Amino acid sequence: MLLLYLDANSGSLIAQVAVAGFAGAAVAAKLSWRRASERLRRNRAPGDPEAQADGEKRGS
Amino acid sequence: MAKSAVPDRRIGLAMTPEIPAGPGCPDEGSFRDPDSQVVHTGGRVLRRLSETGRSDWDALSRTTFFERAVAAGRLVGTVDVAVGREGLGDGWAGLVEHEPIPFVTYPFEWTFGMLAAGAALHLELLREALAEDITTKDGYAYNLQWRGVEPVFIDISSFTPYHGGPWAGYRQFCETFLNPLMLQSFMNVDFHPWLRGRLEGIPVQHMRRLLSPRDLVRRGALRHVVLHALLERKAHGTTPSTRSALADAGFGRDAMIATVDKLLGVVRTLSWRPEASTWTSYATTNTYSGEDRAEKLRFVDRVASSARPHLVWDLGYNDGTYARAAARHASQVVAMDADHATVELLYRSLRSARVGNVLPLVVDLADPSPSLGWRNRERPGLLERPRPDLVLCLALLHHLAIVANIPLPQVVEWLAGLAEVAVVEFVDRHDPMVAQLLANKSVAHADYSLARFQHEVAEYFDVEAREELSSGTRALYALRRR
Repeated sequence: MLLLYLDANSGSLIAQVAVAGFAGAAVAAKLSWRRASERLRRNRAPGDPEAQADGEKRGS
Repeated sequence: MAKSAVPDRRIGLAMTPEIPAGPGCPDEGSFRDPDSQVVHTGGRVLRRLSETGRSDWDALSRTTFFERAVAAGRLVGTVDVAVGREGLGDGWAGLVEHEPIPFVTYPFEWTFGMLAAGAALHLELLREALAEDITTKDGYAYNLQWRGVEPVFIDISSFTPYHGGPWAGYRQFCETFLNPLMLQSFMNVDFHPWLRGRLEGIPVQHMRRLLSPRDLVRRGALRHVVLHALLERKAHGTTPSTRSALADAGFGRDAMIATVDKLLGVVRTLSWRPEASTWTSYATTNTYSGEDRAEKLRFVDRVASSARPHLVWDLGYNDGTYARAAARHASQVVAMDADHATVELLYRSLRSARVGNVLPLVVDLADPSPSLGWRNRERPGLLERPRPDLVLCLALLHHLAIVANIPLPQVVEWLAGLAEVAVVEFVDRHDPMVAQLLANKSVAHADYSLARFQHEVAEYFDVEAREELSSGTRALYALRRR
């Protein structure tokens, strides 16, 4: 992981996705897809075996 | 001295590996980055590097962009210095040497054109570096200095290998470059007090509040101010996790380059037309005859050619004629004037004439740059920087004494502390321009007289030459401090 002495601020990093224009659009799409699928997983019942398996995968 | 060919900067560097004994003097402005620290010793500028810093430097020095940029004078000349571990001190793993900068200045002393040129250079270098997988850790306007009217990037340690993700320096770039430029371009508000008042620059949130509805349609405003401010407020998550999330989502070199290109597009569009002021039209409205101007020029030329100064300060230089005359005999002339528009016009004319050793600055001598930053030593004030060998004080005295209300004895004392040799023009109270200034004052300024001036001068200086101009109301003095 790149450690920098300067705190760039999360918002300033995300803002560049919009600045990057077309190149950023693909990134934005992937980010939204990931957020959407995460929310979908969380909406499943806690006892759901699929949800548990996913949780284990993320934790590794 | 017109310089049309760009010299190879590396040749100018001393290649001697021996470091003078002693720890050297750490640069008071170089302490935030744990991987590098600038040290001054024996007139040389050295930089200590940690293991990480050294590996970053190795990566940078192997790129073709670095070599090209140094040769073109856009990046400061830097070479390795061989020295044993014992010579480095604890925790340091490497040493490099930088070409010194003739006179250090700060963004709140630059003109709009200079700040814009600096911004463009920073982005262009970043773009070239990215092509070889190198990025910069920050986007600070203080990464740059000036050689005459050419900007040069000096913070070599800012370069680091690129591992994906967006630019860490984007916010700093917006706050120290883009926002001040927009303030000037959109609103015609001088950015100098803002940058002098806060080294970190104009905050994104503040810039957002300053924008009028009309400004929102200007190029760059929506993305870099409005959206940026919104996301800065709303975004959660730590910076490292956000950066890796974006990198994982595919924000790579292409997206970085696209960001830099967009910023460059905005910087190149921003423009400022200096308003005509009393000072910008001074060359035509002043009361000098052509003969007087020629005589003044000859006087300055004679003093400068015999003094052969290393550093000249031209105070209140107006159209820069005399600064250029002195520049023919000096290594470096720093020309200071308080009127932003005037300095901007001089900057442009120096660039088009390709004059290499005159540096124009926006400075109010009655309120010069103070020492700023951590311990008020991080960014030394104007009067803490190297003093000139020759100071030109032409048609300035009456401004300090009458307009700024500074007692004449104090002005003369101050001049004596500045330089060994001074060229001073004393303008009598009967001169039309001075009479005009006095007419606006209820205070009589009784101490402003030729007799008083000569009396004060005699306290500190020997008068080596004196010449009265044909108008009869102005006299030139060549003074040497005792």
